[in-house]
Amino acid sequence: MLSFYFQELMRSLPYFLEGAWMTIAVSGLSLLAGTLIGFVCGIIRAGRNKLLRAIIGIWVDLIRGTPFLVQVFIIFFILPSAGIELEAFPAAVIALTNLTASFICEIVASGIIAVPKGQSEAATASGLSNYQQLRYIVLPQAMRTIVPPLVGQYVLLVKDSSVVSAIGVVDITRVGWLTVQRVPEGLMVFGLVGLLYFAICYPLINLSGYLERRMTIVNTKL
Amino acid sequence: MKTVKLFSVFVSLVMFLGFLGIASAGTLDEIAKRGELRIACQTQGAPFSFVDRNGERTGSSVELCEMIAKEMGVKVKFLNYDWDGLIPALLSKKADMLAADMTPTLKRAMKIAFPDPYMYTGSVIFVKQDSPIKTLKDIKPGTKMAALLGSTGETDAKKAFKDLKFKTYKGGGPLLINAVLSGHAEAGVNDISAVRSQVSNFPPNSVRILDGQLSKSPLAFAVRYDSPDLLRWLDLYFLHISLDGRLDKNLDYWVNSLDWKKDH
Amino acid sequence: MLEAFNFRVILEYMPLYGQCFLATLWMSGLALLGAILVGIVACGMRLGQVRSLSVLAGIFIESIRSTPLLVQLYFFYFGLPTLGIMFPEWVTGVIALTLNSGAYYAEIIRSGIQSIDSGQTEAGIASGMNYFQRMRYIILPQALGMTIRPMLGQAIVLVKDSSLLSLISILELTRAGQLLTSDRFMPAEGFLTTAVFYLILYYMLKWFSSWSEKRLIFREAH
Repeated sequence: MLSFYFQELMRSLPYFLEGAWMTIAVSGLSLLAGTLIGFVCGIIRAGRNKLLRAIIGIWVDLIRGTPFLVQVFIIFFILPSAGIELEAFPAAVIALTNLTASFICEIVASGIIAVPKGQSEAATASGLSNYQQLRYIVLPQAMRTIVPPLVGQYVLLVKDSSVVSAIGVVDITRVGWLTVQRVPEGLMVFGLVGLLYFAICYPLINLSGYLERRMTIVNTKL
Repeated sequence: MKTVKLFSVFVSLVMFLGFLGIASAGTLDEIAKRGELRIACQTQGAPFSFVDRNGERTGSSVELCEMIAKEMGVKVKFLNYDWDGLIPALLSKKADMLAADMTPTLKRAMKIAFPDPYMYTGSVIFVKQDSPIKTLKDIKPGTKMAALLGSTGETDAKKAFKDLKFKTYKGGGPLLINAVLSGHAEAGVNDISAVRSQVSNFPPNSVRILDGQLSKSPLAFAVRYDSPDLLRWLDLYFLHISLDGRLDKNLDYWVNSLDWKKDH
Repeated sequence: MLEAFNFRVILEYMPLYGQCFLATLWMSGLALLGAILVGIVACGMRLGQVRSLSVLAGIFIESIRSTPLLVQLYFFYFGLPTLGIMFPEWVTGVIALTLNSGAYYAEIIRSGIQSIDSGQTEAGIASGMNYFQRMRYIILPQALGMTIRPMLGQAIVLVKDSSLLSLISILELTRAGQLLTSDRFMPAEGFLTTAVFYLILYYMLKWFSSWSEKRLIFREAH
């Protein structure tokens, strides 16, 4: 019976690969857009404008503090009553971008804050403008603390992308649920799902390890 | 001043036309104009709506819906959600109607409108082949019973037996069978037609369905209360297809037998 | 969906929500404690001198991080019984959450430890401290203080991930909303109420982490 299930599962393999492609598309687009927005928000959050800082703080709390599924539902089902009608795919990308941005905003902000104050004071004394300080002094140093958790966060977000299947985006997890109806060997079906996620996430984890080694250049022994 | 006046006249005219548009176009008109019927569905497993081994969406409700679109002269578009997304999709007008094996309970009908039921089914209890539970009488208080979250099966079992220990799952009927086979539950309760066809995917003689249905309950599609035209139309549709035999043909193929197994 | 928002029904379901809120609270609390423990042990193994333990910890951490919790949960729930191991649902759920977050905590603690100058370890060795003493008195107190923020982040992820436990028939917060939705067909009421409860948990965690951050810094000042 197991080999029969296995054959059935292999017949669905193209379907799984389509799902994998969908996961890559949704999370890839969201990670790109979310990183951009997250950096901008993070820089503002670490900046001097109190009002903007507070607004971004509330946004980050709301997004981090509520389930992603609820956010997806609000964007897909409640925004239409405000006249914003979206298809499932763009709605999924927008929701995941928003989530990504809020997490990255926090990482970037705490990375910038961790740069000693003396650095920007010295830069001001040398006559650098605000932008120049950020570009040449603060960000390059902050990047060391930002980049490793950033890539780690990407891995989490790839996995979070499975939530968007609730609004009909057929990603890896969704294909798993659809297939398990027909091939009821759940362990095998979800084993394949896990394997596909592994294929996407493992390179990212290695990338994060590599970046971390390159940026910190320490070799700690306990 | 004059431009302001002209502008306000223009604005109120636009608003008036807008209201007129909303008021006059019924859901059927909208569907006809769009040329597409949008149906929210679940993929909860055979025989109602599932993805077959060729990756095609098919099943009893799916074919009924394709027939609806054909009669309307429009194309059909299936929007596929899980249970959580189904009701929001209908209420937020993403979908015109909802096709799932859904029981029209009176509480649910407070929120959405159900056309006349097109078939009747009932809950049954199933156990592992070698279970000591042989008949419905063997189900004692404290029996671990697997049911689908918020399903009619759970309600029926609560009525029929005292003090069961429920384990409620979501994600479709096969998961219940898995839970019973792996020993997480001693028995499971679900819709007879779903159980019968889902058991057929498992190794032969692994599951036994106990004799006797716990209930008789209707299944129906659903629409919003602001679509009385579509509701009327669907009632008429089911009348037509039950008179000309197309409904029985569909149910005999999908629900009352396992004929579909050789094609899908 | 929001036009007919029904507060009365929410009140009617409040006892259920209360019960589910407490369930989420104690299960994720237990898993959080366990996860930090697992994280410390796994991280100690990974950075320690014993090669085989280090490799083992590496495999554990990376395989957990690159597969979704759903798959892990499925494995524990349906996979272990085939090996004859059977736990009650809540134990399975807490174990899965503990191991999942434990892998992330191991990484967080590792990056905290590695950010500590290796001179400190050398000083510890010079003063004749053994491995456990160095860990206990030098490394961990500093590393924990530094990693409070990312630890908070992971705790939030853990609490929200606990919603997956509803898959293995555990009554928790997400399920309360789903029950309201499927009994009464009131999705907006169900999901928004759920979101508010998660937000309460989020602020509780945030308050706790800033409290402990202050305490740790206070201790350092002495």
